Amino acid sequence: MCVKICGITREEDARLAVELGASAVGFVFWPGSPRFIEPDRARRIVERLPPFVAAVGVFVDDTVEHMRRLVKEVGLSAVQLHGAETPANASRLGVRVIKAVRADQQGLGALDAWPETVTLLVDAADAGRRGGTGSIVDWGMAARMAARRPLMLAGGLTPENVAHAIRAVQPFGVDVSSGVESAPGVKDHQKMRRFFGAVRGAAAGLLPAFGRRDPDARGYFGAFGGRFVPETLVAPVEVLEEAYLEARADPAFAVALAELLAHYVGRPTPLTETVRLTKMGAAPFSGGARIFLKREDLAHTGAHKINNALGQALLAQRMGKSRVIAETGAGQHGVATATACALLGLRCEVYMGAKDMVRQAPNVARMELLGARIRRVDGGSRTLKDAINEAMRDWVANVQDTYYLLGSVLGPHPYPLMVREFQSVIGLEARRQILAQAGRLPDTVVACVGGGSNAIGIFDAFLDDSSVRLVGVEAGGEGLVPGRHAARFAGGSAGVLQGTRTYILQDANGNIEATHSVSAGMDYAAVGPEHAWLRDQGRTEYTLASDDDARTAFRDLARLEGIIPALESAHAVAAARRVAQDLGPSGVVLVNLSGRGDKDLETMMESEGDVAS
Amino acid sequence: MSRLDDTFAALRARRRTGLITYVTAGDPDLDRSASVLQALDRAGADVLEVGVPFSDPVADGPVIERAAERARAAGGTLTSTLVLIERIRPGIRAPIVLFTYVNPLVAMGERAFARRAAAAGVDGVLVLDLPVEEADAFRATLTTAAIDMIFLLSPTTTDERIGRAAALGRGFLYAISRLGVTGARDTLPEGARELVARIRVRTTLPVALGFGLSRPEHIQQVGAWADAAVVGSALVSVIAEAADSPDLVERVEQYVRWLKGAGSGTATTGQL
Repeated sequence: MCVKICGITREEDARLAVELGASAVGFVFWPGSPRFIEPDRARRIVERLPPFVAAVGVFVDDTVEHMRRLVKEVGLSAVQLHGAETPANASRLGVRVIKAVRADQQGLGALDAWPETVTLLVDAADAGRRGGTGSIVDWGMAARMAARRPLMLAGGLTPENVAHAIRAVQPFGVDVSSGVESAPGVKDHQKMRRFFGAVRGAAAGLLPAFGRRDPDARGYFGAFGGRFVPETLVAPVEVLEEAYLEARADPAFAVALAELLAHYVGRPTPLTETVRLTKMGAAPFSGGARIFLKREDLAHTGAHKINNALGQALLAQRMGKSRVIAETGAGQHGVATATACALLGLRCEVYMGAKDMVRQAPNVARMELLGARIRRVDGGSRTLKDAINEAMRDWVANVQDTYYLLGSVLGPHPYPLMVREFQSVIGLEARRQILAQAGRLPDTVVACVGGGSNAIGIFDAFLDDSSVRLVGVEAGGEGLVPGRHAARFAGGSAGVLQGTRTYILQDANGNIEATHSVSAGMDYAAVGPEHAWLRDQGRTEYTLASDDDARTAFRDLARLEGIIPALESAHAVAAARRVAQDLGPSGVVLVNLSGRGDKDLETMMESEGDVAS
Repeated sequence: MSRLDDTFAALRARRRTGLITYVTAGDPDLDRSASVLQALDRAGADVLEVGVPFSDPVADGPVIERAAERARAAGGTLTSTLVLIERIRPGIRAPIVLFTYVNPLVAMGERAFARRAAAAGVDGVLVLDLPVEEADAFRATLTTAAIDMIFLLSPTTTDERIGRAAALGRGFLYAISRLGVTGARDTLPEGARELVARIRVRTTLPVALGFGLSRPEHIQQVGAWADAAVVGSALVSVIAEAADSPDLVERVEQYVRWLKGAGSGTATTGQL
């Protein structure tokens, strides 16, 4: 993304622009502007610019002769025209030309009037004459124009809105002046840094895809979703929905999140092509498609869960809540929530099933280190489902000061929507990365599905790519016998659990069935309602990987690629190898490696012991 | 007029505070649960709330959660609950209200449920996790089967939603005394009275207040503003403690008579 900092009057501002990676700096030579700079002073700044940074002179209805003279005297690499200049005059300047046009019907006409050698810059109406009033361009119109020919976007851009503007308009570059100033002609260095940060975040797809696909007004995706909560929670859930919709419409919220994702989480996470997994794998897996891993295991705290935890913790802070509660299965969401709460200074309590506390002991220790209080749950199956029950009971009793930070695309509306949108960065990044690294869209995207947040996070960006198969992998456990698996689609039916209507594992009386998976994060009786809907539509499909499949994939990925995946993610890897085999060597498979496996070492050691004995 | 309407009309006519008792069906087992319900009726409970055992009772505290576990261990389900009610209904005077979570109803099928519940003699149904917004179809199904749909209202319920529940509800409205799950408390919470007042100005439907009530003086207090008081967890605790004792039924009956003593304004000596 090309960035031009315009209205430069001070050398230190130009220097910072260069340091931050600006492609161009602009000097205003129209005397009516508060950012007007004497040609001599501009020359001294231009002389110090490095060779790959363009110096642009901005003019309004000036004479060709005067402009040509300043090009020479100042050392301008281009001129930018903001008046009623014509293509004929512009061609006589003998230098590259940028023409400002308005985002309106007249601007639409200008698209064809100006030759392709001229770069068009979309600015607010009369912004040149008014000298950078910061009026915001009609982004919808600008987007229509940008679809027809490459455009620079200007007009009222700020650190807060630039990421949204880039998302909306898709320009090849942005031009900013008053949006990064403390006074006309005086740049605010902090604002400049934030502006560049936001541009990079947007260009890297760090901004969640807010408002792309909302459920209906009652929170339904087709026949699934809704809001089946005890009466006390109806109003708090409505308040939460309102607060979320308001926050996601506020560019400052999105930018605060994008900044955390970039500088705290370490996004974008890389996309890694496996080298030996397909080539060197055991016989049935050799000769398959290329497999690319989306490395959510490299996100801070070791899993995708942090994307959602930070988003919701920011929301909790915005809503003025002082206490955050969460549930956790594998412990990754608990760790992510404890981390976000430590960072934002929120009190944190995490509910965790007693059985999960044993099998994910390292994460219990991590949460405690991070200052969270662990609430052990001994009811029911002592796993994720029971932790959610307890968290909901806590919330019912403490709704006034407590924010319930739910970890997956489950629960009552707006949680399935909100969590998906916070996880949508995974797919936005991955789609861009696979296009760059494989040169095309993948044939199939594979992700494990516990509640389904990492899966929906990566699927989301590919939903409109009808050629891309989207495959979710459920926990096959020890076989499709009631109580020995967690495959809601293979062995379940529609029902209502914990606030949402979706596919669940239940007996004939509507009681929730016991589940099993070697991975705590997939050991859950319900699946996100949007998955149920997407499956009904035929857009997504679901397969199984057994405990043994997951263990094998876990070991193979460690030995063949030097990556220790979470047991949850190992389910996806196991299924991806089958998919890759079916596709053959010309295929491309994208796998969401949702987390790292340190937490699972003990479980794996035990099973190694079983093998040995 | 439904049986619930008659009951509340009679309570109002006699200026008496109704007592609604809650027990989980099949706790501690189906036979003794039948005896417990008969004892409650004998002891003068005005409405019997019968809980359907469910695996994930998110709106309930530990006492009722344990009761559901005991009942399920003894084979308690929605079907067995309906069979139980059908069996005892002829000998019972009080209206019977089912207190349930939505998933067992979904699993049985809402129409099949309404048919079977009506046949069993169920008078009203209260679904803990089915707020007004989700209840349209189910309410219509119940109405066809001449069963009253009862809605819960909480201190967090807005006036607008109280209005909606009042318009759609039948039989009575169930006001939750405080934020939180079911469970006995020593004193009545402050906000309870205000909630009942907010409901009163919006409807003439009877109002029952529940969650946290356990003593005759609670019922007396509630009687000053509501039509009836609900006692649940405290009663379930009596059952839990006496589950293995031969005088289970007697102790349940004693407890209710003790509660009633205050409710009727002719206080008897506390026996517990």
